[in-house]
Amino acid sequence: MAIPGAVGASIVDYTTGFPIATTGAAPNSDHEAAAAGTADVVQAATSRSLFVSAVPNDLLEDLIITTAGGYHLLRLVQTDFDSRLVLYVWLDRIHGNLAVARRRMQTLAAELVAT
Amino acid sequence: MKPSKTAAPGRLLTQIAGEHRTGALVIGGHPGGTVYLIDGLITEAESPAAPGVGELLTASGRLAGRTWQAALDAGTAQGRVGRILLDQGHLTQGELELCVLGAIYDAAYFALAPATAPVDFLQDATHWLGQVVNVDPAAVHRETRRRGRLLDEIFPDPRVDSAPVTPVLRPPRERVTLTSLQWELLVHADGQRTPADLAQLLGKAGYATVQELRRLAALGLLDLPQIREPTADNPDFVRLPRARGASSADVQRPVVSVPGDGPTIPIVAGPGTRAGLAPAPSSGDPPRHSLEPGPASSGGGAYRPPRLARRKPGAKLPKDVAADPGPRDGPGTDEVLLKRIRTALRALR
Repeated sequence: MAIPGAVGASIVDYTTGFPIATTGAAPNSDHEAAAAGTADVVQAATSRSLFVSAVPNDLLEDLIITTAGGYHLLRLVQTDFDSRLVLYVWLDRIHGNLAVARRRMQTLAAELVAT
Repeated sequence: MKPSKTAAPGRLLTQIAGEHRTGALVIGGHPGGTVYLIDGLITEAESPAAPGVGELLTASGRLAGRTWQAALDAGTAQGRVGRILLDQGHLTQGELELCVLGAIYDAAYFALAPATAPVDFLQDATHWLGQVVNVDPAAVHRETRRRGRLLDEIFPDPRVDSAPVTPVLRPPRERVTLTSLQWELLVHADGQRTPADLAQLLGKAGYATVQELRRLAALGLLDLPQIREPTADNPDFVRLPRARGASSADVQRPVVSVPGDGPTIPIVAGPGTRAGLAPAPSSGDPPRHSLEPGPASSGGGAYRPPRLARRKPGAKLPKDVAADPGPRDGPGTDEVLLKRIRTALRALR
């Protein structure tokens, strides 16, 4: 279930910015800094922006950041109990396919909980 | 069992882990907690300030209370409560692992945070949940210290972490934006529930609760108790008989007093201070002695809602059970969940 063009990935506790697991490369070769940044982005989306709560019972699913060189995808891992985890994948801009990557991350995040 | 001694919990944990020992590290004080290790790896952790796996699963509605209780009744003695929940199909392996992993880091933060505390190591004590994950104690210790620093970056006042939560009656600004957890905390804060009580009640991680409360305090939305020293030009509204020399002694008392409890009265800190009631608090720096939650706060006569009974940490299992930790991975065990996650992540590349 490889994601074409994936450069690196991690699972981050977004309450604290703690990477509970990492693989591959991280921006600036620093997984911990990447995790802290990931947590900041998720916090910003959940606590300081209004579009997440534009519709009642709406739920944050993905955050996608595009740069000239790559895509950064964040997918929240949904659990019934309080867990606060986010899956982060760094995609190469040329080799990566945003739509495919997003679908595969969706499956992976669901499987982490469902199996 | 060694007699209780005072030590740095973090350093002792590192030592126990280095010796690959099995047992429970019981840390006293407030809030205190227990860290369970098997062969030097952390398998569970508990603290009164952090909801346990059962509270997380039942408060969220993921498991019915009776399902959890049935698993406890059937599996506690053999230390296989987790196994039973999986075998009966109540939880998936992934859910249980994520839940336990989160609970370990959460409880360990509160248990290991104090620089020194009374500590005890119960050799060969194991946890009734059974072994679900293994976590490297060094990683937990490092993360615990990092979490402490994060809180101080938000709002450097540890009183927020343990004092009963009282929202201000009038927000200090026209427009306030809250996260859903902040809303839940404010709605359930009644001036008596502590952050630990709120975390248990709502089934939210203790650290996440404290973190949101510090953010609320930084926004000026929480009343922080402060000690007011009675002075001649600032008489108490209600004069109470007072023992000689009491004013100097009472200043040392913790802040969690009720009105009429004596000359110390909690007053409003920050922008919400009502003029004329008291001199404005000198600064954001509270007197140091007000930070001690201490047993005196419960002895002060303040009403505290009854707490749920908690299991005694470190309760020993029968020898034959404790000696057999069940099926194990080979030597150099990596943490089970991490392995699964790493495999999944590698599959992405």
